[in-house]
Amino acid sequence: MSPEAHSAPRSLAESLRARDDASLGALLRGRPDLISPVPTDLTQLATRAGTRASVLRALERLDRFTLQSAEALAVAGDPAPYGELLGLMGGDERDEAVAAALPRAVATLREQALVWGDDERLRLVRTARELLAPSPQHPSPTGLGPTVREATSGMSPGRVQEIVAAAGLASTHDPVSAVTALTGLFGDRKKMTKLLSGAPDAAREVLERLVWGPPYGQVTADPAAHLRWLLDRGLLLPTAPGTVVLPREVALHLRGGHAHRTPEPLPPAVEPAAVHGPRIVDATAAGQAYTALATVEELLKDWDEGGPAVLRAGGLSVRDLKRTAVALDVPEPVAAFWVELAHAAGLLASDGEADERYAATPAYDTWLERPPAERWGLLAESWLAATRTAGLVGGRDAKDRTLSALGPGLDRSAAPEVRHRVLALLAGLPTGGAPTAGAVLERLRWERPLRGPRRDGEDDLRSRLARWTLAEAELLGVTGRGALSAHGRALLGTPADAPAAPDAAADSPGPGPGDRLPVHHHRPTAAAPLSSSGRATATAAAVRLLAPLLPEPLDHVLLQADLTAVAPGPLERPLAALLGVLADVESKGGATVYRFTPGSVRRALDAGQTAGDLHAFLTAHSRTPVPQPLAYLIDDVARRHGHLRVGAASAYVRCDDDSVLNEILADKRAAGLRLRRLAPTVLAAPCDPAALLEGLRGMGYAPAAESAEGDVLITRADAHRTPPRGAPEPVPDGPPPPDATLLSAAVRAVRAGDRAATAPRKASAAPAGTGGEPPRTGAAETLATVQAAVLTGESLWIGYVNAEGTASQRVIAPVRVEGGFVTAYDHTADEVRTYPLHRITGVAELAED
Amino acid sequence: MPRVNGPLIVQSDKTLLLEVDHEQADDCRRVIAPFAELERAPEHIHTYRVTPLGLWNARAAGHDAEQVVDALVQYSRYPVPHALLVDIAETMDRYGRLTLSKHPAHGLVLSSTDRPVLEEVLRSKRIAPLVGNRIDPDTVAVHPSERGQIKQVLLKLGWPAEDLAGYVDGEAHPIELHEDGWALRPYQKQAVENFWHGGSGVVVLPCGAGKTLVGAGAMAQAKSTTLILVTNTVSARQWKHELVKRTSLTEEEIGEYSGTRKEIRPVTIATYQVLTTRRKGVYPHLELFDSRDWGLILYDEVHLLPAPVFKFTADLQARRRLGLTATLVREDGRESDVFSLIGPKRFDAPWKEIEAQGYIAPADCVEVRVNLTDSERLAYATAETEEKYRFCATTATKRKVTEAIVRRFAGQQILVIGQYIDQLDELGEHLNAPVIKGETSNAQREKLFDAFREGELNVLVVSKVANFSIDLPEATVAIQVSGTFGSRQEEAQRLGRVLRPKADGHQAHFYSVVARDTVDQDFAAHRQRFLAEQGYAYRIVDADEILAEGTG
Repeated sequence: MSPEAHSAPRSLAESLRARDDASLGALLRGRPDLISPVPTDLTQLATRAGTRASVLRALERLDRFTLQSAEALAVAGDPAPYGELLGLMGGDERDEAVAAALPRAVATLREQALVWGDDERLRLVRTARELLAPSPQHPSPTGLGPTVREATSGMSPGRVQEIVAAAGLASTHDPVSAVTALTGLFGDRKKMTKLLSGAPDAAREVLERLVWGPPYGQVTADPAAHLRWLLDRGLLLPTAPGTVVLPREVALHLRGGHAHRTPEPLPPAVEPAAVHGPRIVDATAAGQAYTALATVEELLKDWDEGGPAVLRAGGLSVRDLKRTAVALDVPEPVAAFWVELAHAAGLLASDGEADERYAATPAYDTWLERPPAERWGLLAESWLAATRTAGLVGGRDAKDRTLSALGPGLDRSAAPEVRHRVLALLAGLPTGGAPTAGAVLERLRWERPLRGPRRDGEDDLRSRLARWTLAEAELLGVTGRGALSAHGRALLGTPADAPAAPDAAADSPGPGPGDRLPVHHHRPTAAAPLSSSGRATATAAAVRLLAPLLPEPLDHVLLQADLTAVAPGPLERPLAALLGVLADVESKGGATVYRFTPGSVRRALDAGQTAGDLHAFLTAHSRTPVPQPLAYLIDDVARRHGHLRVGAASAYVRCDDDSVLNEILADKRAAGLRLRRLAPTVLAAPCDPAALLEGLRGMGYAPAAESAEGDVLITRADAHRTPPRGAPEPVPDGPPPPDATLLSAAVRAVRAGDRAATAPRKASAAPAGTGGEPPRTGAAETLATVQAAVLTGESLWIGYVNAEGTASQRVIAPVRVEGGFVTAYDHTADEVRTYPLHRITGVAELAED
Repeated sequence: MPRVNGPLIVQSDKTLLLEVDHEQADDCRRVIAPFAELERAPEHIHTYRVTPLGLWNARAAGHDAEQVVDALVQYSRYPVPHALLVDIAETMDRYGRLTLSKHPAHGLVLSSTDRPVLEEVLRSKRIAPLVGNRIDPDTVAVHPSERGQIKQVLLKLGWPAEDLAGYVDGEAHPIELHEDGWALRPYQKQAVENFWHGGSGVVVLPCGAGKTLVGAGAMAQAKSTTLILVTNTVSARQWKHELVKRTSLTEEEIGEYSGTRKEIRPVTIATYQVLTTRRKGVYPHLELFDSRDWGLILYDEVHLLPAPVFKFTADLQARRRLGLTATLVREDGRESDVFSLIGPKRFDAPWKEIEAQGYIAPADCVEVRVNLTDSERLAYATAETEEKYRFCATTATKRKVTEAIVRRFAGQQILVIGQYIDQLDELGEHLNAPVIKGETSNAQREKLFDAFREGELNVLVVSKVANFSIDLPEATVAIQVSGTFGSRQEEAQRLGRVLRPKADGHQAHFYSVVARDTVDQDFAAHRQRFLAEQGYAYRIVDADEILAEGTG
């Protein structure tokens, strides 16, 4: 024990001063907000550690039991001895599990600088106390009410005397000692039992109802007998007219000393619900990892020729997501996951063009070249570190806008930490163990109870993140059959052979009540995301483990006479690419089933292959002879392919005498017309008919133009006409003549303005009142005058400066004055307006006309 | 880590690919057959499909999810996706939550071990009219006549009921197989056994593989009065003939209930046609179902089961039912009705496997493509859409090709099969062969068939009346000149005409003459799909080759 411990610290700063460097380091690691910026001295550090924002943040990071301990301290005395805290947490019967876990909780609170002082005088920092102590506005999770002292503070001494007398205590005239006596009585289990044994049954029922909180109840002005019995003895104390409260001491007596109904000293265990063989787990995960690669590849290949457009607000439209989901043959949320994953891995981005679309990045091409295991490594690493959460897609943000995939608003900073924590929990299980999602969520809730309170029925963010993590880890092949795979374990940076220590709880220092001042609390290391170099090593290790599990690409397929081809495993890339063109994919999975159709063969021919190429290709890659129907199909389609030719021409020359056409083609002057012979009697030209006519005429021919129906066109000067057009609208010099309504309104406005400017004013209100000057009065006088006008209903003349600083004069009839605003009917504007009082430069009453 | 190299590949769309040449293929096939449906059986890789129906049938046959998952995991070459395994377990778990059983006081009842499921199905509008009073929270009475209907609806709702209500034995009647000089083939025995064990169901065997004997075997097991439903009178006579020959039944014990004769005997053979004859809005012959206490009802060519018979079958759930077919593909997609009303598929054998065992003749399937002449092409292009098929299917070139093929196989027994009577008449004239069509009388038909069987006639031209159940064991060549559009089962049935094993074991030939570049070709491709999936590889040849051979 250090010598300093003998002199008890008198403040948080002093207690911090007494801590060693390691202990301070632990504090700063746990509460990094304290060192941004770095405080100048420990006093400043202590001050900062006591700020509301920082304390809130620190409380949020406590596990449930530690938080419960802090809550108990908040309802205990200040300072409280360790024994009192233990009583509150462990109850009168001193729960052993609580007694064992409490030192760690107190140590954590100390380390986090939420509690200071030695074991005889534990002090919760004031801000934390304020946050956690019960008040009528913020009921504490303990469900306890105020102390007797707090509840009787506003009570008349006479009433206190009556209560003391009714409770059977010696009467005293000093209200302070009376309250102390009452507190003492309520805290004495034996006397209380005796006192309560005389209570009517109905009264006991009332106490039962209030004991676990909320401690407040309603009473009528004339309470029933059993309530009267309780009120008389101070077992219920009035707080406000019609409201009574169960004092904290009474509640604690009834609860057997417990501050919480269920203290949870131990984290809920995460047990394997099923244990699979490690080989099965690894193989399943590897299979899924391969599917992940194939899916990302398929997704981006699908978007090769113009991906979906970027929404104006950013992101992928719901329709495009649907289409993608159909193309990938997965449900939409899963499609959103793949899209987000490709995005997070930098394989997919918006192209930034004017007509913005999503497309694969150049990094995708590099990625494709790498071995499969490395490709997976990149995906897994990106997933682990990403703050973007695909699970949110399809939900709505705070402004009720739909959150779209790749769109804004999907970042959740807690996501990487939760992912790590969930995987670390899985890593804590024996190899091959798969827990239920419920157990994992329960554990996470215990570890961070305050984060994200549950809103009506909906899970908090952390739970949802954890749920998504479990699903996504399975999709990505980090887990297989719900259990962490060997490569998944390596990804976390944990050695594959030894499961990580289940939790820090197991190795926490044990027996003493935590009297060594700074106890270093070790958080589970695996929960912390790794450093970048550490992550690279971990990924490399995972890749090494995964690589032998992935299937080797094959170089052959099996061709069958029913015009299908089966690739009994993943194919080499060039083979897969050409086969994908030549045949339609019928079924995907470990193998791929292709079906040849006339359409698919035609597609291959369109892509520049010849029938010979295709035969050679199939022969080369088939283990068995090419079936005759397939060979026939290719030849049959090739026979018809290109039989009809389509091209574009703008004009043609037709002549029944092909010798004339020969002549034209041979003529050098025709070269500029770029004529082409389509048939013995037809020439086609890419120029327009008029130019062709002109050219042929220039060569000395006499061509006639032909209509679309083949008739000879007669050229005749035809007057040129526009499409239907209307006459122009007249543009008058000024505005249109006003109608009667407008006129009368204008007149009224002008008159009112005039009235404002010229109205004779009472001399007293505007002493210097020359004609056009706005009135000037002091603020008090302004307020008084306006309030008077509200009462009398008179109109006032005011000077007013608007938000731009422009002064004006107005005549108003005030209706209401409140909160520094005057609501008035403005004669000048002819409507009801609101004016801030401070903008009114002065008022004057209008002289009676 | 050693790579597992199993014969099975599990696809994400729940198809299973089985590599036939793999050494474990047979073991694997045996293990997956109870729950997976054989979908395609071409030469190298067979495709099975895992369907909810298949999984439920497996449950009904006593297999559990654990076994199914084990089978997949054990034989799979690649890791089986976890989601698929979970899905299988969940699907199988749905079976048996509801059970149909006999209640001593309330008759037929539907009960559940899982109350929410019962609540869910009872809330369905389609269930409401089929059930009676709620007996207790977990049990509801069912009208006995709706037993089939409610099973069908529950299946559609995804909560198949386990039928524990059992079967009535029916009126006993001694039937024995006369196995002198012949015996049931192993697969026929297996089929009978599977059927009997399962109670009711469908047996799928290739044409010519002896379905009649499976029926006879089932009757010998049941030893009770039997109602046999067949497609037509000729077929009815053949059934009678076979039964007299193969079993202890005598002519007198077997009745024929058809358009001409109305006999009701311990074993009665009725045609679908007479059952579905309608007079004044009622089916007068449907009372046949109730005329005796039948112990077994046999449906021949169950894929042709007409709709009214479906309806009445639904009411016969307490009797054992056996469906026989070669091709359970219906272009109307009502296969699932067959399964839910008659019963699940109890036995299925790939055609090629039976062929390998030598029980059906190997067949050489050839598609002959004929070119339309220029004028025909022009006429085809301008024909009305509904006339197009008829036009290209009856092109004159087909006649020349048919004649060439007939010349080539001169001396063998040849069937020419077609759809259009004009075309058939013309062919009959040119080939100098009799034509059997709808208007041919039954007596005349039998006479011609007999002559053909005896070898007095070499060539027979038949319309679609001869599609089914006509036993012409000597036919070795079939030439199909036109068909019912893209009907897959018709193609298979027609091939079946020549698949009876030949005395000298030689090959059968099946020619399909198709007009190139027309809808005929598209329909042909569709028609051939079933057979191609059964491993029958069609060779495609040009008509010119055939014609050149013929003249050369």
